[in-house]
Amino acid sequence: MSTLSVAKKDFLDVRRAKVVWFVAGIYTLFMVLLFYFGQRNVPEPRVESQLFAITGIGALVIPLIALVSAYLAIAGERESGSIKYLLSLPNTRRSVVLGKFLTRSAVVTGAIVFSFALAAVMALAWYPSLEADVFAGIVALTVLYALTYVAVAIGISAATASRSRAMGGAIGFFFVTNVLTMLPGFSIIAAFEYVFNSLLDLGVSQDGLEFIRALLSPTMAYTYSTALAFPDRMNGIPEDIPWYLQGEVMVVVLLAWLVVPIALGLWRFGRADLG
Amino acid sequence: MAAIQTNGLTKRFGEDILAVDSLDFAVEEGEVFGFLGPNGAGKSTTINMLLDFVRPSDGSATVLGYDAQRESETIRSHIGVLPEGATLYDRLSGREHLEWVIETKETDDDPDDLLEKVGLEPQAAERSAGGYSKGMQQRLGFAMALAGDPDLLILDEPSSGLDPTGMQEMREIIADEADRGTTVFFSSHILGEVEAVCDRVGIMNAGRLVTTGTLDSLRESLDLDTSISLDVETVPDALVADLENHEGVQSVTVDGSTITASCAATPVKYDVVTQVGAATSVLDIVSEDTSLEQLFNTYTNGNETRTGTGEADVDAELDEVETETEVSA
Repeated sequence: MSTLSVAKKDFLDVRRAKVVWFVAGIYTLFMVLLFYFGQRNVPEPRVESQLFAITGIGALVIPLIALVSAYLAIAGERESGSIKYLLSLPNTRRSVVLGKFLTRSAVVTGAIVFSFALAAVMALAWYPSLEADVFAGIVALTVLYALTYVAVAIGISAATASRSRAMGGAIGFFFVTNVLTMLPGFSIIAAFEYVFNSLLDLGVSQDGLEFIRALLSPTMAYTYSTALAFPDRMNGIPEDIPWYLQGEVMVVVLLAWLVVPIALGLWRFGRADLG
Repeated sequence: MAAIQTNGLTKRFGEDILAVDSLDFAVEEGEVFGFLGPNGAGKSTTINMLLDFVRPSDGSATVLGYDAQRESETIRSHIGVLPEGATLYDRLSGREHLEWVIETKETDDDPDDLLEKVGLEPQAAERSAGGYSKGMQQRLGFAMALAGDPDLLILDEPSSGLDPTGMQEMREIIADEADRGTTVFFSSHILGEVEAVCDRVGIMNAGRLVTTGTLDSLRESLDLDTSISLDVETVPDALVADLENHEGVQSVTVDGSTITASCAATPVKYDVVTQVGAATSVLDIVSEDTSLEQLFNTYTNGNETRTGTGEADVDAELDEVETETEVSA
């Protein structure tokens, strides 16, 4: 019960945080622009094309929305000391972490669903077909992807005692899992390839390296998982990929990114001294 | 059953810092206990261990009979807490804070009653707490602590940020709660507020509890001196020697036209006044009581090893005690 009590109060609080609405607004803006220009002067506009484009933008913007919405959830309260009010009441530390995860997830999910709902209205008005299956699949996967970053941000926030450290952790995580895994040539994967194949001569296949990349980065796992929603390989992922790069496995990877950071956060916060 | 009981409660931060050193004390049910000590003495760390904000390195504590670590949630549903150095939620109004606390504690208090108790205007309660003055924040925090009619109030530096009127009101609320049978445990480095409301005090210094007892018993056991100062027209040469020879006068100092006599007991002061009055004309008389400040300084100045319950012999240190005067002329 105390999880819900924490969540309820936190929702009152976070819904008034302007920065969250600002980043969510940016995502919505991208969505609206894409669906508007995607059909202007296009004879046969396709909803899939816009959805594909929005997954690309989402790969960059969704982590920012999620991290900004959640990285201060606990660390910010520790720095300001309001956590002492929260924990002077019959709330457990566990319910603080879970309650915060619940609200921040709700806020981020709400923002994403709102954006897609606008897009759906535009699609119904201007496009020949909504492609409801694809649409729903992408919404679901995008929400799951966003929640992995919320989980990471909550985990970081639970494990750090100050705003600056939480911010450092969030930026660092974004950099490692997003920037450093996306850039070809200058990436963690290039480093793995060098160590595994050039130094150790293990002969790890390209697919094997891709799997490591997807394990290390929720963004990569998300990209691979969209194969579940898009028909006919239109997301650019080749057809003859091994089982461990299939969409279903990638959903499992995303679920792991959801659970593990929260578990680590619970463990760290449960033992922390709140001086 | 004691409301609070600690057994060898100890907290180390890192290797070097011993914030609280094997603390043993009890707060009985229904009493108002003042937890005194200078900043950094370990008061807040002790309170934080009682509330399970900080985990003891050694020892244990019970609050209302429940283990402070294992049964913390139960404890926190029966107590009211005013934490130190905690900020409110800037984006929530005062009323929202109270409604949240009432709901979490599963009680049926009326927010307006709580607001009235702590002297917070209903209009102010509609504004978001981000714009509150320090005094208003403290009042709201106090109202939150009072929700649910707690059996025990733990107040960490409750008067910080309050103006003299606010401090007076806070003392009245504490006294009211105590009259209703609530046990009150509060920490302070401001001594005046303790003297007015506490049944018993504990003085903490450098991580150790140096003494506990009623204020009267502490005064007695310390055998503190009392002094009288007289502003005079002239200081006759023979007078100082005469005074020093008087029984009960421990020392005499002359500073310009002011004679100060340190006396072993208060009746001696009268003898001093008559003697000085006979020798010269007196312009003003200032009598200094054994202040709590003096008591406090005696326990906390440069003596970190003493333990016990006020029985220690501290005469040796009295000369070094700097006395903040509490004047009653």
